[in-house]
Amino acid sequence: MPFQTLKRDTAKELCLEWVMQVKNYKLNLDKNRCVGCQICNLACPKEAISIEKQPKTFGEKTRKAKVDVDIAKCNFCGICDISCPYGAISVTVDGKHLLSVLDKESFPQLIRDVKADASKFPVDPDKSENVCPLNLIKAQYSTPEGKLVEDPRSLSRSELNALRMKVEVDKEHCPCCGICEAKLPQGAMHVRRMFSGKLAIKRENCPEGCTDCLDVCPITGALYLSDSDKKVHENEMFCVYCGACKIVCPVDNALDFKRTRIHHTTVRSGAWNKALERLTSPTDMTKELKAKRSLRARESVKKRMGLKEEQHV
Amino acid sequence: MSKKPKKGTAKEKTKPRQKKTGPKAEGPRIGVFVCQCGSNIASIIDVGALTKYAQTLPNVVHAENLSYPCSRQGQEDIVAAIKNNKLDRVVVAGCSPRLYEPTFQSCVSRAELNPWLFEMANIREFTSYCNQTAPEEANEKAKDTVRMAVAKARLLEPLKPIELPITKKVMVIGGGIAGINAALDLADMGFKVYMVEKSETIGGVMALLDKTFPTLDCSICIEGPKMVDVGRHPNIEIISYADVLKVEGYVGNFNVKIRKNPRYVTAANCTGCGECRDACPIEYPNYADMYLGARKAISIPFGQAVPLTHTINRDYCIECYKCVDACGAREAINFDQKPEEIDVNVGAIVVTVGYSMYDPKDLTWTGYGKFSNVFTAMEFERLILAAGPTGGKVIRASDAQKPHSVAFMQCVGSRDINKYEYCSGFCCMYTLKHSVMLKEKYRDAIDVYVFYNDMRSNFKGYEEFFNRAQKSGVKFIRVKLENRKITEDPQTKNLTVCAETEDGKPVSVHAEMVVLANAAIQAPGTAELAKILNIPLDKDGFFIECQPKIRPTDTEVSGIFLAGACQGLKDIPYSVAQGSAAAAQAASVLGKNTWTVEPLVARVNEDLCSGCRVCESACGYHAIKVEKAGDKAVAKVTEGLCRGCGICSSACPMDAVTMPNYSDCQIVAQIQAVMKKGSRKT
Repeated sequence: MPFQTLKRDTAKELCLEWVMQVKNYKLNLDKNRCVGCQICNLACPKEAISIEKQPKTFGEKTRKAKVDVDIAKCNFCGICDISCPYGAISVTVDGKHLLSVLDKESFPQLIRDVKADASKFPVDPDKSENVCPLNLIKAQYSTPEGKLVEDPRSLSRSELNALRMKVEVDKEHCPCCGICEAKLPQGAMHVRRMFSGKLAIKRENCPEGCTDCLDVCPITGALYLSDSDKKVHENEMFCVYCGACKIVCPVDNALDFKRTRIHHTTVRSGAWNKALERLTSPTDMTKELKAKRSLRARESVKKRMGLKEEQHV
Repeated sequence: MSKKPKKGTAKEKTKPRQKKTGPKAEGPRIGVFVCQCGSNIASIIDVGALTKYAQTLPNVVHAENLSYPCSRQGQEDIVAAIKNNKLDRVVVAGCSPRLYEPTFQSCVSRAELNPWLFEMANIREFTSYCNQTAPEEANEKAKDTVRMAVAKARLLEPLKPIELPITKKVMVIGGGIAGINAALDLADMGFKVYMVEKSETIGGVMALLDKTFPTLDCSICIEGPKMVDVGRHPNIEIISYADVLKVEGYVGNFNVKIRKNPRYVTAANCTGCGECRDACPIEYPNYADMYLGARKAISIPFGQAVPLTHTINRDYCIECYKCVDACGAREAINFDQKPEEIDVNVGAIVVTVGYSMYDPKDLTWTGYGKFSNVFTAMEFERLILAAGPTGGKVIRASDAQKPHSVAFMQCVGSRDINKYEYCSGFCCMYTLKHSVMLKEKYRDAIDVYVFYNDMRSNFKGYEEFFNRAQKSGVKFIRVKLENRKITEDPQTKNLTVCAETEDGKPVSVHAEMVVLANAAIQAPGTAELAKILNIPLDKDGFFIECQPKIRPTDTEVSGIFLAGACQGLKDIPYSVAQGSAAAAQAASVLGKNTWTVEPLVARVNEDLCSGCRVCESACGYHAIKVEKAGDKAVAKVTEGLCRGCGICSSACPMDAVTMPNYSDCQIVAQIQAVMKKGSRKT
């Protein structure tokens, strides 16, 4: 059987495949989860991913940009998979989701620092599950005897209070917006941002009545339409800095947007440095390198002087 | 001393000669020797009459006919006649100068006559052979031919042969088994050999094979040591991962421009340890495994690669520099490497660029590319190879299970006038090899069918191997090449092979795997190389040799030789033999101190030349170029390149270029001689 490259593009998913007799590489883009942001396009080391703004139809909401992967350039490294804040891309080798770039530390794992404390969750399912704009929080209720309760809404208040709760967060698909942390009782959720940055809407430059950015933003509350000036305002507290808004913005100077830091595991890799430079800026990349360098210098000084951590302190 | 047998004829001639010598003592003294060539000439041409006629021509002081002037006796007669008659021009009327001119030139030089004072009149191919039904006219034509030759001979001038220096180095282009043998032979003879290889490693197709027929020797086990010998030989320099860009010059003095493509690994520092490969996270399909498996973005194509230098494929590399860390203090990895162009001077070139395989995807009846269990022979080769991607397990692509029945289909693309008309030559034998290996490995657990049209097993030990295959239980089904079809059951992915027997009866066999013997074709880049080397390709895309029977390794370009499958498809023993043959041919050039070129090359009269460059564009061999000479630009001839075709001479508007012994006055003299018609009526 000859080597084959396959590409299938449906309304639901985009699927790329390398078929070798003894190896199979697959890239799957879940179009429901994809928000048409910039991340994969910027992270891809082979410039294989393109983002195309969709034409606007009058009277309809702006559609998110379309992501396409060029199979001639893609090498199935999985960097897009790792970088996607929404977990929309999945790269598998022989059906297994084991990425060699992570294994060999050629690319860092982006850290989704999301922790749930079920004991502090409200027992009301409407208040616990529905806070997530992407529906990633699932709560499970069981009686003190350990019996699973299918429909807690049918129970009385006192019965509810006696229930035990288990909370599961689908971290793989979580962009770490932090809405849950803000809306749930204190301590129920702990979320640390994956991306940090800056988003400011210069409303004086916004075209009259334009809500394109708001239409595509997947995080309810990160952008909102103000009743006073009928313009879109930002709430940086919840922004995940994916850049979906920046892609669709019809003017150049309305969105002041940049990423400055990415929360990730430490690696020493040229591929990461380049991705970081594109995702943030050369300055921010240099900052990280400098920090890393000083860390290394400290380590080596420690090693040379034969100092142990305690002695140093 | 050899005058005795010719006394009779000599007597006849002496009289007219004496008549002529008197008044024409001042001019050149021409001797004409008419050849009978057994009955080849004498049966049509009245040789005696022609000799008598020659005696009547001006300046001819001696004429005789000989039965075979080219024989030893005949040559001695000519030498004696030259000495006795003080001849200073010799005309032999006989066969084509292409065959015997060098013989007669050396003959006249033995009589201390300049070899270019010799002229040949072709009365065999031009008259006796082609005018057999009209002997009378043939005789007249023979007289015309002789008259023209004498007219030209009268104006011949003595020339000196041109001696060119020879660079005692040789280049072998292509590092397959033919090239390896040529290189080793030449290096052992003491010549410096540059082996230029396009891919990362030498070894060619043979390095990718599992076993070789008919002995079932392990292919890489017998080629591997030779590859290592090439790598280690002090006289051989391997220039791998490189392309030949330009070849200039001529025999003994070729200048080859080569582009070394960047491996991004410094060969001198790379130890081949493979630590970088282990650190690399990226994989891509491996061509050496026929893309059945993958290799790392920094790797070698297979374990026995020579040179054992890793290569980074930048098409797939993500530049994480993990390899740089792994390489550490060896510092072999260099991402800044650029393509490097080098010039190499060699005296001879051996071309052994081999072949490649036709992709049968466009033959839809085969289902190749559509049905997952249809393989090509090379893919099967990598499947059954123990070091291959499946570890030697013959498994199906659809379910990774061992097939219980395998059908081999012969002549896919070859012997097909719509694809490749020729027979690929070795497919029958490798199919026998595959079928015997399957049958001897799995015995009764597997059914093997071979759909063939003709079984071509015509060399040493091959027919016996065919018998071995038959005895081992392989079922041979002779079918027509038309109306073959392979279909697939979409559920089980099993295949059905349908064909027609020679007497038109349909035959079909269910098989769990089908292996196609696809046509072997020219190697990629052969056409470009042919242009660079100025060697023509035949209609099938293989290099044309100088003469298919007696000069199979020579080309039209002196100093460039062919070996292996690039000249025509052949199996390993014949490629090896041809490699050594081409090496011997190249050594016959390199062994000389100088290369002698006939002085029949263009001459430029610099006073007349205006430097207009008309000759430059007319010349097909890049042999004449306008260069600055003092305050004036004039045409200069590179003697080694000039073939003496005369195009520049006729193109020159200033009449500045002349061809020695084909000068205007000589050609005009010939035309005048033929127009005179002499004794001819009309």
